[in-house]
Amino acid sequence: MTDIFTEVRNVSKRFSAKPDFAEKLAIKLGAASTPPVVHALDGVDLQVRRGEVVGLVGESGCGKSTLGRIIAGMLPPTEGEVYVEGAERSQLRGQAARHARLNTQIIFQDPMSSLNPRKRVVDIVGEAPVAHGLIRRGEKQAYVENLLQTVGLDPSMADRYPHQFSGGQRQRIGIARALAVKPEFLICDESIAALDISIQAQVINLFMDLRRQLDLTYLFISHDLSVVNHIADRVVIMYLGRIVEEGSADQIFDGPNHPYTAALLSEVPRIDRRHRTFQTIKGEIPSPMNPPPGCHFHPRCPFAFDRCRAERPALRTLADGRRSACHLNDLDQRPNFSVTEQARENSL
Amino acid sequence: MTMDATNSTETILEVSDLQTHFFTPAGVVKSVDGVSLTLKRGEILGLVGESGSGKSITGFSILGLVDPPGRNVGGSILFRGEELLGASEERLRSLRGNRIAMIFQDPMMTLNPVLSIKTHMIETVLAHESVSRSEALARSIDALRMVGISQPEKRIESYPHEFSGGMRQRVAIAIALLHKPDLIIADEPTTALDVTIQSQILSEMQKLCRELGLGLIWISHDLGVVAGLADRIAVMYAGRIVEQGTVDEVLDTPRHPYTAGLIGSAPAANSRGSRLTQIRGAAPHPLNRPEGCAFRTRCDYATDICRQEPPETRGSNTQSWRCFHPLATSNLETLP
Ligand SMILES: Nc1ncnc2c1ncn2[C@@H]1O[C@H](COP(=O)(O)OP(=O)(O)OP(=O)(O)O)[C@@H](O)[C@H]1O
Ligand SMILES: Nc1ncnc2c1ncn2[C@@H]1O[C@H](COP(=O)(O)OP(=O)(O)OP(=O)(O)O)[C@@H](O)[C@H]1O
Ligand code: SF4
Ligand code: SF4
Ligand SMILES: [Mg+2]
Ligand SMILES: [Mg+2]
Repeated sequence: MTDIFTEVRNVSKRFSAKPDFAEKLAIKLGAASTPPVVHALDGVDLQVRRGEVVGLVGESGCGKSTLGRIIAGMLPPTEGEVYVEGAERSQLRGQAARHARLNTQIIFQDPMSSLNPRKRVVDIVGEAPVAHGLIRRGEKQAYVENLLQTVGLDPSMADRYPHQFSGGQRQRIGIARALAVKPEFLICDESIAALDISIQAQVINLFMDLRRQLDLTYLFISHDLSVVNHIADRVVIMYLGRIVEEGSADQIFDGPNHPYTAALLSEVPRIDRRHRTFQTIKGEIPSPMNPPPGCHFHPRCPFAFDRCRAERPALRTLADGRRSACHLNDLDQRPNFSVTEQARENSL
Repeated sequence: MTMDATNSTETILEVSDLQTHFFTPAGVVKSVDGVSLTLKRGEILGLVGESGSGKSITGFSILGLVDPPGRNVGGSILFRGEELLGASEERLRSLRGNRIAMIFQDPMMTLNPVLSIKTHMIETVLAHESVSRSEALARSIDALRMVGISQPEKRIESYPHEFSGGMRQRVAIAIALLHKPDLIIADEPTTALDVTIQSQILSEMQKLCRELGLGLIWISHDLGVVAGLADRIAVMYAGRIVEQGTVDEVLDTPRHPYTAGLIGSAPAANSRGSRLTQIRGAAPHPLNRPEGCAFRTRCDYATDICRQEPPETRGSNTQSWRCFHPLATSNLETLP
């Protein structure tokens, strides 16, 4: 049996947005029954095995951070369950709940809003390990300096405040803070996007070293497909609250099955693609407040047919072991767009 | 505004020997230490470089947004011929958001958490133009649609925390586009966007540059995006531009060892799962930069002269670099 570190089963998350004046009035008068709701996640199933790096990619606003926060226990799902090391997260109490909370750490997307501006770095990074008894108070300064060095910051910066750092430097403070409590599972939410490429390389190497040394497991949320391609074992593609494709990095990058995956791969910026004419999105970008019926991608999909507009495609395991949610897989003759993409690449 | 009175080769921005320093209790941080660059109408300059090298502070300096203990200590910033260094706060405020816009690295610097997106946008329009609220609203909704926010008429009512990170970035971009400025400084504005939406925004930016002659400084770490978008690239290290040239020159024949190191550490230049090539050593502490060439402690080509004095800018009229021992133009082994 594979050792599953964490699993989400049929997780949905809905946020109710603020109704505007007209809607409030309509609700009051009984003309509308509910305030608008954002469907951030819609029936997501995902397993992360111990020691594996799972790359999570998807449109902006499709629910990646929400999924990360739910897995980390920072946000309750509206429906569905989250399991951590075999136990359902919401049932954990006391010591076990505390262990689960520390054991999974998120490195946030937005370093500015996740670092307390009134605290020095030494406290931002060192407080939690002291509070949880991982180190003694007297060891804090040295412990933090050591961590700063690990993430490539000068240890003498420990006494500075967050605003005195550049964007990339702040991002590394976030990484140091997460590592400080010795987690086994790291959720990296766009953690390296703000870093220059040579420091990105340094941090990716750091993540890979930590994985080997400490047997860490990662959920790596990123828009940078070349980074995901480099480090992920498995790749999960999301679109508007749903997983649309999931497979090994080779499967996804060498032959996408889902049209959204194919659209992503065809737009990947590359250093040898110069002076491009960038493409506008064809079709309409759907809203999570009012997701289209059937396949969420159909308003943008060049292959959409009638069934796509009516019926939600199930995420099914295909012959090669990957999962994909697309009705094209039921057709006898599916359009071979990976070939089309290749041709497009070559013509560039 | 005065779009018709301009021709396409007008230089809209000319920065010379810009110096912005921070006077901290621990010492003087020379965040920007002699930066020179020019931008013509319709031109896109990709500004890349080390994290902490002064890219954002260069942008803040151009907008007159450097806060104490930071201060401009030298140089010149000509915007359409007008000196901005030392210009009155009133003049700068009337240019900011109107003729010059900045899209900040962190969208929460543009967005006030207690105000709705609608309030932000309408106030921005009304700050510089006397139009009706309903016209301001219509324009705001259009700008949101342009950056790919669906149902903008509804979502404009939202507050910043109700948007995902990437959506906040797009709102910040939409706000910058409201007045169709002459110059936009965009600080990593698409790092949190998926590549299809990124392409959507880049295509809008390209259109503005081509059709309205907007000048764009695109600060980014993503060499792939810069390769596809920009006309020229400037590479910063430790407060200085160490290399500058056309996209093809800089990416195909980097002359500065730091530029070559950057290109070589991109994942695409390395095989999957392998350790990435990284530039050895760490960026110097800003209070304690090496004498001479600031890169010398990490450079494989350093010699005695690199320790004695900082290299001056030299090169051809399109490509220039600050290095005593530039790489040969045939030195291609670092490229993917
Ligand atoms: N607290 C909240 N209240 C209302 N809506 C929310 C809230 N948090 C997130 N949302 C909405 O849920 C959806 C998913 O957001 P999420 O932050 O998970 O997206 P994401 O995939 O991480 O996007 P990005 O790549 O842009 O960071 C978005 O439409 C967002 O506007
Ligand atoms: N308020 C401040 N006090 C002291 N030093 C500062 C302050 N603000 C910025 N700095 C320093 O100025 C330098 C340049 O910062 P800047 O934000 O311009 O870097 P950057 O090139 O934009 O980096 P990044 O790519 O990480 O965003 C950094 O070394 C930073 O630590
Ligand atoms: S189910 Fe239909 S609309 Fe959805 S991705 Fe497949 S072909 Fe396109
Ligand atoms: S001047 Fe010397 S140390 Fe600096 S980059 Fe050139 S060779 Fe290296
Ligand atoms: Mg997110
Ligand atoms: Mg910056």
